[in-house]
Amino acid sequence: MYKIIILTTLFISNNLYAMDKMHDHNSKQHNHNSHMAVDGSKTKLDDAMYNKFVSNLDSSQVVIVDVNGMVCDFCARGIEKTFYDDSLVKKVLVSLETGKVLIAYDNAKKVDFGEIKNIFLSNGQSATGMTLKKIT
Amino acid sequence: MGIYKFIILSAALVATTLVDARPVSWTGGSTIMYKSNSMMSSYYYHYSPSFKYSFGAEYINDRYYNDQYISIRSTYLLDRKNTKESQRNLYITAALSTKRNDEFYYGVHGDWETRRYFTSFSILDKRSDQKNYTENELQVGIAPYLGEYNQLHTWIMLKSKEDTRNDKWKIYPFIKLFKGDFLLEVGSKESHWDIHFMKRF
Repeated sequence: MYKIIILTTLFISNNLYAMDKMHDHNSKQHNHNSHMAVDGSKTKLDDAMYNKFVSNLDSSQVVIVDVNGMVCDFCARGIEKTFYDDSLVKKVLVSLETGKVLIAYDNAKKVDFGEIKNIFLSNGQSATGMTLKKIT
Repeated sequence: MGIYKFIILSAALVATTLVDARPVSWTGGSTIMYKSNSMMSSYYYHYSPSFKYSFGAEYINDRYYNDQYISIRSTYLLDRKNTKESQRNLYITAALSTKRNDEFYYGVHGDWETRRYFTSFSILDKRSDQKNYTENELQVGIAPYLGEYNQLHTWIMLKSKEDTRNDKWKIYPFIKLFKGDFLLEVGSKESHWDIHFMKRF
């Protein structure tokens, strides 16, 4: 009986994972042009944090992302690691206090909120809004 | 413990509270863990191909039965709820021993936390011809200060644990520290150290 339960659990886990992979693939396609729908007005800027972040940046695009579920440092470690996988990312700042993440991209980057949402999702958090600022 | 009792107990605990620190990592992330207490010690490595799923191998030194073996373990995130101030998670886990065909365990664990408060539960039912027992665990914790990202984070925790081999609940305090990719939990239960170390990469 127990053997059946454990084997079923393992089987279901693997199948759910496979379904997730398909869903992720579909949502990436769906979100391809979704940056146009972002409501940046929901993101309130923390001036002190922003000014410190951009103080040593050259010409860049800075994205300020509102994030839900970012309650623990240990759980947010993957955010920096995943964004730095993109060679066009210059700098990342995680603020647990404000629930915001600042990302500085090279100007060559086409910023896509759908892509950003997927990166946060792959780390277990939810991106709920963003503001894009240009540094000249 | 019968399967119906297991299901009922799981449902009751899920309904009332929401143990293990994050058994699934970020997509592509790996984790190594070391655990030691009066009953066992273990080394566990897992890989997360998705933020919802992890699998890995665990070497277990079972002090109670004087047994050593490796288990293949898998964990799935059933449910997660993110809000601005909190996160809630519910996981199922299962493992099979590579030493004996009839040895395995399965369980459910969940947590709910804010930057200030933490609660969690875990139920693991372990079965084989010789071993039949359940480990139930509840944790609550409070952060005395709110650390910012990259700072040292400290949690004062209380753990309540029942091992059906001993047939009684024991409550003991422990401290949880994490900084960067490292997490350390240290407590003492009946003069035995209870240690949990974790590194993510």
